[in-house]
Formats: sequence, C-alpha cells, structure tokens
Amino acid sequence: MRRITSGTWLVLGLFALWEASARLGWVDSPNWPPVTEVVAALIRDSITGELPLRVGGSLWRMFSGLLAGGLAGVVVGLAFALVPVTARLFGVVVEALRPIPVPAVIPPLVLFLGLDDPMKITVVALTVFFPVLTNTMQGVRAVEVEAIAMGRTFGIGPWRRAAFIVLPACLPYVLAGLRVALGLALVVTVVAEMIAGEQGVGNYLVVMQFAGRAPEMYATVLLLAALGYALNRAFVTLEKRAIHWWFAMGR
Amino acid sequence: MLLDRLRAILPGLAVLALLIAGLEAAVQAGMIRRVLMPPPSVIGATLFDLLASGEFVEPLMATLKLVFAGFAIGSLIGIVLGTAMGWWPAAFRLFEPLVELVRPVPKSALVPPLMLFLGIGFTMKVTSVALVVIFPVLLNTLQGVRGVDRVMLDAARTHGWGTAHTLWHLVLPAALPFVLAGMRISLGLALVLAVLAEMLAGEGGLGFLILDMQRSFLIRQMYAWLVILAVLGLALNGIFAALERRALHWQNRNA
Repeated sequence: MRRITSGTWLVLGLFALWEASARLGWVDSPNWPPVTEVVAALIRDSITGELPLRVGGSLWRMFSGLLAGGLAGVVVGLAFALVPVTARLFGVVVEALRPIPVPAVIPPLVLFLGLDDPMKITVVALTVFFPVLTNTMQGVRAVEVEAIAMGRTFGIGPWRRAAFIVLPACLPYVLAGLRVALGLALVVTVVAEMIAGEQGVGNYLVVMQFAGRAPEMYATVLLLAALGYALNRAFVTLEKRAIHWWFAMGR
Repeated sequence: MLLDRLRAILPGLAVLALLIAGLEAAVQAGMIRRVLMPPPSVIGATLFDLLASGEFVEPLMATLKLVFAGFAIGSLIGIVLGTAMGWWPAAFRLFEPLVELVRPVPKSALVPPLMLFLGIGFTMKVTSVALVVIFPVLLNTLQGVRGVDRVMLDAARTHGWGTAHTLWHLVLPAALPFVLAGMRISLGLALVLAVLAEMLAGEGGLGFLILDMQRSFLIRQMYAWLVILAVLGLALNGIFAALERRALHWQNRNA
C-alpha cells in the first residue's frame, strides 16, 4: 500500500475543486459538469453497453493494427539489418514515408479502403511499423557477433540463424519498440475514428461533443485514460515475463 | 562527405524513382482507378502550380506557426517541471501522481473537450499541441536531471555554487542529451496533433486542406498538399537533427 503523499492530495484537491466549481456555480457553463455527474455518465453508458461495445471495437482495431504493423516492422527490420542491400534499396522509400503525420494519410486511405475497419487497421499498422522497425534494426546491431559466429560454426543456415539466434537476442529492443507503438496505436485509433466513419470511442467523443453532452464526453476521456494506463501496465508485466533473462542480466 | 552520403542513398533514390514511374505506368495503363490515384505527373503539375502561384504559403505558415508555438510552450513546461521534479524530491512527490494521471490519456481524445472550452481557434490548437509535447520532454528531462554525475554535483557544492547556478550551468547542460531526445519524440507528435486539430477545427492549415480536398473530391489537390505536408515533416526532422548535433557536439567528440 502506498502512503498518501502530497501529490495524492493535489490530485484529490483538483477533483474537489472541479466538483465545487461546477456545483457552486464558480464556473457556470454547460460544458463544465461536476465530476460526480461525469462518473454517473460513465456508469450509465457502461451499463447500457454503449461504451463497452465501442471500446471493444476500438481495441479490436488497435490490436489488429498492432499485430500487422509489428510483424511488418520486425520482418523489414530484420531484412534491413541482416541483408544490407535491402536497406540500401528500400531505406529511402521508408524514410520518405516516415515523416508524414499519420492523420494526413487518412483521407487518401479512405478513398481506397473506405471508412471502416480495413482503413483504420491500416492507419494503426502504419503508425506501429516505424518504431518497431527502428528498434528491431538497433536490436540486431546489438546482437553479439560471437553468437552469430557460433551459429555459423555449427552450420546453422541464415534463415534459422535469423529466427533462432538473432530474433530472440533482439527481442528486448523489439518489445521496447512495441511498447512505444502501443501508446501511439491507441492515440491513432482514436484519431482515425474521430476523422472518419461512425465506429468506436473516437467517434463517440466527437458525437457527444457536437451534441453538447459534456458529462458523456468527459466520461469517455476518463475511460480512455484508464485504458491507456491499463494497457501500458499489462504490457510491462508481459514484457518482464517474456524477457526475464534480459533483466536477470542486470540491464 | 556530402558526396559520400549522396552515393550511399543513390540506389535508394533510384528505387523511389522507379516506384513512382511504376505507379505512373500502372495508372496510365488503367490498372489503378484514375479518380482515386491520379498519375504522379499530374500531381506533380498540380504541386508545381501551388508552389508557383504562392498559394502554398498561407496554409504552410499557419501549420508551421501552430507547430512551433505548441512545441515551444510544451517543451518549456516539460523542461521546467521535469527539472523541478528531478531536483527537488518534494516537487516530485507533489506532481508525480498528477503526471501519471494525465500521461496515459491519448492526447487526441483531449481535442473535443478543448474545443468546447477554447472554441476552434488558434488557442485550442496550440493547447492541443503543447499538451502532447509536454510529457516526453518532462519524462526525459527528469531522467536526465537524476542521472547527473554525483561527483560533479559535489564539486559544484565545494565551489560554493548556488542552486540556480548549479541548475543552469551544470544540471541542464548534463541533462541536455536526454532533453533533446525527448524533444525529438515530441516534435513528431506535435505535427500529428497539429494536423488533427486542424482537421477537427475545420479552418485553415495543411491538415484542414487535405481533409477538405478529399471531401470535395479534389483528389489531385489532396495529394499535392499531402506532399507539401510530408516535406514539412521531413524538413522539421532534418532541422532538429542538425540542431541536436550542433548542441551536442561535445558529447560526440568524447564518445
């Protein structure tokens, strides 16, 4: 159990200030509902199933994109790092695409893939691809030369070397890239849903904003914050389990 | 050296050119629908018109101003708060729960509430950008400040340096590589949020134009503006990397 620190009081104080300012009319605006009303809205929308359904859809799109983009990032990263010719040939293309801010690729993708899942999953995958690619390449460079040389001595072919020596050795880097990508993926899922289509939490946010239903809107933001926190926590736990040997080496 | 770099990326540039040529051929041959993907040569001509007529200046400047203002404000807050939290344990205890509470919020989700309060003008957009910039800078600054060599801090104390002097002349320079690494992450995010805020606010800037062109089915123009935005992203990254190298030249020499 953590001791209650000054910081906890600050957070509680801010929430109290929020509640008081709305209840006592210090801030008199339909856009400023008391925090208790926001929590009530959160509970109401959870019970009706509206929010859980939308969150579920968003999560499904996010994880599909994470999987597709992560796989592509690892494969291309391994290829770039292990077969330098591929990096020399295709590196420029990748670097030309990297600086495009993700929301901007949504309008053209809508033309080809429509407003629904395929477009959104592609947008998430594109976002995830770059950090995973960068980290995989870094990871391959950090693999000990002796390990690869030993594999060669034992007559292990290049494909098996990539899969059974290089990939496990650079896993900590890949996972670090995926952790960054996970945060970005949630952001971008929400972005894609806000800009196009009628699915998911992102769309719910915008609809509630237009409808002027402030409690529902803040409830969604709170839920997303909790979701972001939980996802990161879960990932860190899984990461520790997957690469416990890495932490055991004191890195 | 420049020539060496050029030679290194020459094959890559050739592949990029080939891909564009292939796309051109595929569109001309009718393998890709022209309405969705105009031939690159047509997009190029549209782009040239935008550049030659000077039409690109105003939206580009609007987006640039937004990114710079938000990036500057967010970085400043992140550095000040990060330094304070890294230096004074009391400040860390005070702000840590708040930071941990706000940090996991996908910042894109904050744009709709901000629009309710600040309208759809510049203030709302700058606030959105600044909010996403703060956290990577703050966390990296915190880490950098905590990582300052104890021996150097003791030496500063021996020389009778005051807190302000120590922070400015020892702690911040030592933490600079971390601060800049955080700022590099934030710069990319700043552009993302700027484009998003422009799209949702629906007035002015490159982000708005790209979405607006798609909705008006002015597809050539959409791709042309997208190219301008991509070049902006590339330029910002390049400029920041160059500034970073200059600011950290002492580090590379020692390494």
